This record gives sequence, structure tokens and C-alpha cells, in this order.
Amino acid sequence: MATTTKEQDLGLIERVNSLVRRARLAAAVFTQYSQEEVDRIVKAMTIAAIEAVEDLAIAAHEETRMGLIEDKVLKNFVASEFHYHQIKDKKTVGIIRQFPEENMVEVAEPMGVILALSPVTNPTSTVIFKSIAAAKTRNTIIFSPHLMAADSSNMTARILYEAGLAAGAPKGFISWVEKSPRLRRETELMMVHPEVDLIFATGGTQMVKAAYSSGKPALGVGAGNTPVYITSSASPQSAAMDVVISKTFDNGTECPSEQTLIIDAQIADALLAQFKRMNCYICNQEEVEKVAAVAIDPRTGGMNYKLVGQPADTIARAAGIDVPPYTKIILCPLEGDLRYHKLAVEKLMPVLGFVVVNSVDEGINRALDINYAGGTGHTAGIFTEDDSVLERFSDAINAGRIIVNSPTSIGGLGGVYNNLNTTLSFGCGTGGGNITTDNVGIKNLLNYKRVPKRTNFTLTFQTTKNIYINPGSLDHLRSLKTKSCFILTSRSAAKRGHLSQVTERLPADCHVRVFSDIGVEPDWAAVQKAIAAMHQSQPDTVIALGGGSVLDAAKIMRLFYDYPELNMQELSVKFLDFRHRMVEFPQKVHTQLVAIPTTSGTGSEVTPFAVLKDNENHRKLSLVDECLLPNIAIIDANLTKSLPKEITVDTAFDALTHALESLVSTFASDYTDGLALESMRLIFEALPETLKAPTNIVWRHKLHNASCLAGMAIGNASVGINHGLAHSLGALFDVPHGRANGVFLLSTLAYNAKVPRKFMPSSTYVEWVADEKYARAAKFLGLSPAYEPDRNGSPASKNETKEAMIRALQRAVYDLAILSEQPLSIAELGISREAFDKALPQLVRNAATDMSTRTNPSLALIGDVTELLIKAYGPRTRP
Amino acid sequence: MSDAGKDNAIRPTETLSMPSRLERAVDAADRALASGNNVTLDFGNCQFVTVDGLEWLEEILLRSESFKSKVTLVNLKPQLYKVFKVAHIDSLQKACGAPGTAAGPVC
Repeated sequence: MATTTKEQDLGLIERVNSLVRRARLAAAVFTQYSQEEVDRIVKAMTIAAIEAVEDLAIAAHEETRMGLIEDKVLKNFVASEFHYHQIKDKKTVGIIRQFPEENMVEVAEPMGVILALSPVTNPTSTVIFKSIAAAKTRNTIIFSPHLMAADSSNMTARILYEAGLAAGAPKGFISWVEKSPRLRRETELMMVHPEVDLIFATGGTQMVKAAYSSGKPALGVGAGNTPVYITSSASPQSAAMDVVISKTFDNGTECPSEQTLIIDAQIADALLAQFKRMNCYICNQEEVEKVAAVAIDPRTGGMNYKLVGQPADTIARAAGIDVPPYTKIILCPLEGDLRYHKLAVEKLMPVLGFVVVNSVDEGINRALDINYAGGTGHTAGIFTEDDSVLERFSDAINAGRIIVNSPTSIGGLGGVYNNLNTTLSFGCGTGGGNITTDNVGIKNLLNYKRVPKRTNFTLTFQTTKNIYINPGSLDHLRSLKTKSCFILTSRSAAKRGHLSQVTERLPADCHVRVFSDIGVEPDWAAVQKAIAAMHQSQPDTVIALGGGSVLDAAKIMRLFYDYPELNMQELSVKFLDFRHRMVEFPQKVHTQLVAIPTTSGTGSEVTPFAVLKDNENHRKLSLVDECLLPNIAIIDANLTKSLPKEITVDTAFDALTHALESLVSTFASDYTDGLALESMRLIFEALPETLKAPTNIVWRHKLHNASCLAGMAIGNASVGINHGLAHSLGALFDVPHGRANGVFLLSTLAYNAKVPRKFMPSSTYVEWVADEKYARAAKFLGLSPAYEPDRNGSPASKNETKEAMIRALQRAVYDLAILSEQPLSIAELGISREAFDKALPQLVRNAATDMSTRTNPSLALIGDVTELLIKAYGPRTRP
Repeated sequence: MSDAGKDNAIRPTETLSMPSRLERAVDAADRALASGNNVTLDFGNCQFVTVDGLEWLEEILLRSESFKSKVTLVNLKPQLYKVFKVAHIDSLQKACGAPGTAAGPVC
């Protein structure tokens, strides 16, 4: 009784399941094999293949009646001996590559079960090649042969399987679909089988398309149409011989073989004469038509498959052309527009088109015509001694392999004429609808597991080289090496007599230019005016005398004076990570910068930062680079004696914020922690005393040092969310920086002391310790634990003590602010609730995107920033 | 006599040590199962499993279902556990205490 199609399908499905299951179990077992075991198996398989190269070539030829036995022997050798030579020492198990500089290794993972399609043109060599490649990579492979070559393909698979098995390979690691009328259907079922991991498709376009359509990962090949440009610098004799070797190789069945020659006119006669001498036949136009009529299938416009791999005289006979015996190649001059010529397509037979060109441009253009007529991504060739022509050709042509001065067919296989990877499967990239342009091989049959170890940024400590720290150190100016000095200062510094103290100490022969029109918080336009003034006086030294704004402006002026071509917009581009930022600052600055702070807050004299106001966008621009560090800092507290109380307090709170933020920064180190802690201690001690006795140089000196120490801390550890908030508020409402910092301090201390809602990702920050650091600061300051009022005197747990110490720190900040009449809320700054609410969205946006937040121990979410701003509006109560 | 009807919770459990290379049936396990016991296969000494070994495991797990007894795999080294993972055999996964093989690739 005849079976129905459904019943037949059920039988097929059973066969497919059985094949795939065997392969799946073998793949599982293969995962246990060591490199040595794999290599032993591969070696045994290769030996078996080499011993069978002739038998397999004969079997393939008898079954397919394509190509030449002798060339099929060579292909089998390439697939076994050459292939083995290339892969034998390659690591495919465990760690296969190490990248010490990247602190990373690559570990191999097999792909699993491979379904391999093998073609009619290379049925045995392809199976040898893929079997060995699969075993080397611990994959299992199921061959689905071309129906017209199934016997020879499967014979090959069986030989390699038995050899591998005898050498210890897992049972079922190679299998094959038996020849049957339903082979194609069986293959289709396997293509979509869930246990097949990869389809490795070498064969006709239809099969490759089916593989890609299966939804599985697939390694396919594309169609070829190889143009070969023979330039005027080539040797006609060598080029002709190589083309003959290549195009007659297995009667032209190799898809990288030459399809159309593009010949420079200067060399055309000599080259054609060589072809004739080598027994190639050059057709006239009438004969070209006849050849085209048989070589091309008029229904498809592609090659006639009946003549694939047939010898030249068979084709000539079919075309009705009389050619000499043993004609090697039929050469056809392709006249007219090449793009429309019937023979300008792939012809896997010894029929070769040619055109003559009069320039390199024309040569490359005609090669492009062939390349883009069905062969993009595959193969091209060139014969030339001129590297510039080679470069232009390689740049223009879209081919995965551009073979130079050698046969494209054997050259494409790799290993014989060049060092390309040996393959029987030519990746054609996207031009040919593939994922790779590789000569596909073991490299493409592995999953690569990258194992990057954590890379920690090497922390450094940098600051201003020469720092003069005692009261009276302004006298150092007497020995300053300068001939021309540009003093940037504020008008108030002049009024307070600081400017004269500086100028009278400068060397007598020094030309001095003073610029005091910089304004309180300068923007880029104001700084540009100052730079223009610098260019007029051509100084070798800039002295910045003033508060943070003056010092920051001077850093930028010095930079742009030395490098006028720099672009402010580019330098102030934000960055997520200092190591990866896109902006490059100059390595060296030439003009000397002497920073003399007249306030005790910013620490700018020792930081690599400069902040400018962006009046247009109501925000602050930050520049960060080592080249901004001054050469000399003079920390002379005499210059701060006349500071008004308000500025003294504002700037002290700026310094206190620096200390508190750098302490918990993600870039904090033992070096910056020490500076931050001592700075805090000095501020808590000296600010109340300074307020009591503003002209007492001892306390002023301690405050001035505190500012400088905190500056060094932030110069290396940076700041945090408090500065982001302060920058935002300050830019929108013109609030002095220190005072803006002060109003957020209690909020940010509480915020950073809590386990973050979102941790800040940073390779340098291995452990969130902000709460412990605050507690440590409180202990260092000698504060008593601030327990809740209702605490009944029982011993505190460690955690309770930590929380109590953090609260003590918050209280200390609060008490210091109250004592010094420093505003602790936005409301106290005189900003109305209505104006604040209106500005809130922009305040949030500017604060959240401020670069200062990048080193905060908590990654501040938009909601967090909003809450911090709202809470800071006030009023405050003692923590 | 088979104890097929007995609740496997009240059956005695026999623990069997697997050989260093599991490449064929372990008769003792088959006998234990046939005598109505639950079986624990201890892989503590097992370093390698072959395709035949895998097929036997699958078979014994299938038979344990018909005996209504339980086969448990314990002390698996990661190398062997991975073999079971890659083999995609549902019963093996369950015998290791895992929920079973995933239905397929998951994005």
C-alpha cells in the first residue's frame, strides 16, 4: 500500500530526530575533551583523509562527472594536509587567547551541533575540510550532501568519522543524511530542528538562502563573479600562466576562479599571444555568440549547469566551434557595454571573458562592473607591480579576498600561493549576504567567551609643584623668574592693597601689565578680553591674584594664550570618565602661572579645574586637566586679614564642602582622605576663632591652609552632588559659590550617608563606605556620638554608634553655620518660593547633568536631585 | 518481585558510586531499580561520561518511571553537569534536581 506524504514525513522526522539526537549527545560529550585529545583526533582524521585523497577524487568525479580527478586530488590535499598544517597548533579548547594589556582572556566554547551542506562541485574536499574543522572545535557535524554527490560526500564523511572514532572521538560526532529522493526534504527539516545550533552552508544559492531563512545562525557563501585586472606593469607570461592554472583548475568549478579579465591596452597583445601559446583559444565575435548561447542559460541569464566543470573542448563542441585539441580555455572578447554582456557573469567552466582598457580608472571601473554583476563580496584578482594601483583597486572592489599576482581559484583556497586561511567555504560579507568575508574555518566555528578582569584606574596624586605656605610668603615674588608679567586681579584686590603688595615685590626689571576688569564671576567673553590683553603685552608669567574666579580665569587665559587654536566649546565637553573623554588638552603649557589666593575657600591654586560662567545657558562650564595646574601657589594669610565676614564664611563653607565631598568621593584615596580630614579639623577650629578675631593671622593662616588642603583633596578626588546642586543654583540665581554649597550641605550629608538607591558605577570604587567615612570624620574631629534624646543609656551597637557619629557630624555643620550666620537653606538666600518653584525643572536638569555628580558615592537619580533641591529650600532644624 | 505500586517516598534508597568513566551500563543500578529501591547515583568519583554512558542514564531514568521509583544524581562536577546541560535531556536535568531543559533559545 502506498504511503501518504504525511506518513513519509513522519518517517523522515523520525530519521531526522535520530540523527540530530546522536549529534546532540556527542556534542555534550565533546565538551569534556582536552586540547590534546582533540588534536589527536584531528591528526588521525587528517591522516585518513590524506590516505584517501585519490579514491575520494575518483569517487567524486565518477558520481558528478564534473572537473578533473587530478585537481580534485589537489583539493582533497588542500582540505586535509594544508588545512591541518594551518590549524594543528591553534588552541581551540580552554583559554585560546590572552590579552595581558587589556587584562582579558578569551575562552573557547563549542557551537554544538552543526548542519553542514556540501556542494556538488567539491563534494569530498568540502566534507574533509568541514569534518576536520568541526572536530578541532569540538563541534559535531551532520552532513547533508548534494543529491548528485551524496555517495562520494558520505563516503568521505564515513572515512573521517571512523578515523576520529578510533582516535577517541565521541560516538556520532560526524553523521550524514543518506542518499534518497527525499534528501532535500530531510535537510529542510533539519534546518529548522531545535537541536541544530548552526548551519554551515556551502553550495548553491538556493540552499544557502534556505539556510539563512531557517532562522538559525548560519555561515553561508555567496555567488562569485571574479574580475581580474591585468595591469600594464604585470608580466604577460606569468599572468597568462597563472590564469590558465586557475581557470582550468578542476575545469573551472572553483567559485573564486577568474570570470572576466580586464587587460591594460599596453599589455593586451603580449598577453593574448601568451594565452595562444599556452593553447587557449581566442574567439571572434561570431564565436563569442555561439559560446554564450551554450554557456549561458537563456531562461535565467546565469551559467548553464550542464556545462559546469566540463573541459574546454566539450564546451566548444557544444557551441559548434572548431578548436585545437587540448584547448585549455576559451577566451571571449566581451565587446559593447560590458554591463549588458551575456558572458559577464559567473561561468564555472573554462570559458573566460576579457576586455581591453586604456587607463587604470577604466580598468577599475570595468572590474567593478563584473564585481557588482553577481559577485560582490567574493573574490577579485589583480596582476600588478604597482602598489598604488593595487591600493586603488583594493579600495574600490568589494571582495573578501583580492588575490595578487597569483591564480584566484587556488589562491582563494589559501595556503598554496599565499597565507590566507585554507578553506572550501568563502565568506562574502554583506555583499554576498553573509556575516563574514573570512575564508571560513575553525575561527568561525567557535563561540568566544571573553573574560575581562576588572581594570582599576591607576590613581595618581598631582598638585601644584611649588606651594609657599607661611604668612609673608608673598616675598617669594622677589625671586620670581620673570621678565614680563601679566597680573590678573579683581578691583577689590587693588582696593585692599594686595596689588601693590605684589607689584612692589616683583623684580625691578620685570615689565608688568595689570588687568583688573575680569568681573566677579567672569564668563568666556570676559576671559577672551583678558587674553587679548595678554597677547598685547606678551608675558612670560601670569599672576592670578584674587578669589577662585580670578584664579580659574587665569588658568584658562594661560592655556588659550599658549594655544590660541584651542576651542572652548570642545574643551568644556562633558565626560563620563576622565580616561575616555574625547577632548585632548595640550601636554605642556609654557607660560608660568603663579596663583595667589586672597580668599580661603576655592583651593583653585592647587586644582586642575577651572569653572566659567556660561551666561547664555545659565550654567557653569568646567574644564578639567592637569595642564591647568598653576606652577606656583602662594598661600599668604596676610592677604585674607581684611576679608569681610560674609566672604570669610562663604569661602570657609566652600572649603568645608570640598573636604566633606572629597572624603566620600568615588575617587577618594588614602592621600586625599588625610587632606580632607585635616582640612575639616582646621575649619571647625579656625572659623569660629577667625570670626571672633578677624585679623588674627594664626587663625587666618589655619583657614587659608584648610582651603589649600581641601583644594588638593578635590584636585585628585573631585567633588560630588553638593557641587552639582550649588553650580545649578549659583548659575541661575547668582549666589556666591560657597554660600550655594552651604545651603545643600545638610541635605547631601544625609543623602550620601544612606545606602544609595543606585550605586555609582566606577571601577575604582570597590566598596560603598560613605557612611563609615562620615563617622570616621566625626571621630577625627573629636565629636561625641549624637544619640537620640530618648536613648536610655544602654550600650550602643556598632551600627547605632556609626549613625550617631554621622548625626554628630551633621550637627557640627549645622552648629558652625548657625554660629557663623551662614544660610543653610535656599529660602535664607532671599529666593522666593515662587521663583524657586518656577526654576526647579532647570535647577534639576543642570544639577543632575553637572560633572561634579560623577564622583558622588550615590548615583543621584532625577527624583533624588529634585528631592534634595526641595528639601534645601528650608527651613532647617538641628539634625 | 517489583515494588512498582509502592510510593517512592517509603522505598529504601540505594546509593551507588559511579565509575571514573561512565561508558556503559552500571548493572548494580539496574538491579537496585528492579528490586524496587530508589537509587542515588553518586558522581563524586566520575570524571568523564561517554555517549553510551549518557544513553544508559537516559534509559535508567525512563525505566525508573515505569517502576515508579526515583533515581537521583548527586555530587556532579561542573564538567559533567555541563555535559547534562548541553545534552538537553529533560529527565537528566530533573534527576539532578533542576526544573528541566529550557524550551529553546531565549532572547
